Amino acid sequence: MKRLEALRVLADLTSGHPVVVTCAATSRELAAVKDSDNHLYLLDAMGLAGSVATGLALSVPPNAPKVVCIEGDGSLLMNPNVLPTGGYLAPPNLLLVLLDNGVYGSTGALPTYSARVNLARLAEAAAWITRSTDSVEGLRAAFEELCGIDGPAFLYARIEEGNAHDVAKLLIDPVTITTRFSRWLRQEHASEVGA
Amino acid sequence: MSYAEAVADGIWAANAVRVGYIPSVTVAPVINSLVATDGGADGVSPRVTPLSREEEAIGVMGAVAFTGRLGAVVMQDNGFGNALTALTTFALSYHLPLLIFANTRGSLGEYNSMIHSISGPMPGVLRAFGLPVIELDRRSSAADWHEAVRESGVHAVMTYRPVVVLGSFWNTDGKVA
Repeated sequence: MKRLEALRVLADLTSGHPVVVTCAATSRELAAVKDSDNHLYLLDAMGLAGSVATGLALSVPPNAPKVVCIEGDGSLLMNPNVLPTGGYLAPPNLLLVLLDNGVYGSTGALPTYSARVNLARLAEAAAWITRSTDSVEGLRAAFEELCGIDGPAFLYARIEEGNAHDVAKLLIDPVTITTRFSRWLRQEHASEVGA
Repeated sequence: MSYAEAVADGIWAANAVRVGYIPSVTVAPVINSLVATDGGADGVSPRVTPLSREEEAIGVMGAVAFTGRLGAVVMQDNGFGNALTALTTFALSYHLPLLIFANTRGSLGEYNSMIHSISGPMPGVLRAFGLPVIELDRRSSAADWHEAVRESGVHAVMTYRPVVVLGSFWNTDGKVA
């Protein structure tokens, strides 16, 4: 499964969810597949997507659609505190989708630890509910299953190395992202976010 | 009211809806007061959350702002070294209000022979990045600390950015380290 294929599935499944997306190729490929107001692209701050998603999950009521974080292996390894913190705080409405291609895909494709360190087992040890897949069909099925389960959920998806070609850089002013994402939250979940 | 209680009450008075903290012996009384006034115990309450590192605290508590409300972080000033990328490329760049109270180290009352190397320059470092810094010490009352913390939260919301309050507990009723 290529990252772009995984993102097509996720874009389709998350139209009603707040989505926090890690930086660089993942953000720009998701925006190329579907740019939407419910996407909170982190244009930098590598490693912070899981923390931001955790904060959002704590800030909206448990009955709101799950906050979905789309993270990469290199980024997660830059801030692995996301796993014990998420497991400890245990927001019931947090779903972290890890797209693991085994490399720092946006910075020269140098290897991450993931060939030797099982990130799904790390998440499981930190009290996340985990599922793993390496196919488009499996990704869709696991996502739908985990959306029905309370507790911090971790969907490990093995993807192929490599970035999509001819995808434009994401040159949005981050303030614009804040404005449109916050507005989307207010409009979609007004009773839940103190609008 | 103790200085620690003044800080805790000031954070609530600023309408912070959630507080994340990274422990230090100096801010432990602040955290205990926050937890107690929020109906919790042993460092945890419905709105007060322990976190493992300052960087993630900026992410977790900064995210509260997307819901139109204010988050707060309680920490120690040397931890800003762990948090600068998150503060700048996330909270500042995305215009997210955030109230940060940090106790200071490395000056009067300090026993540690090296912590001044990061704590001493920190107010200037933070200002160089464009963060407003309010500095408090023994020269003002606990009531003044309360108002300064409260108003810093108001200022963060009004200016759509993090505001840092640095508090030196030396020669107050608190302890430095």
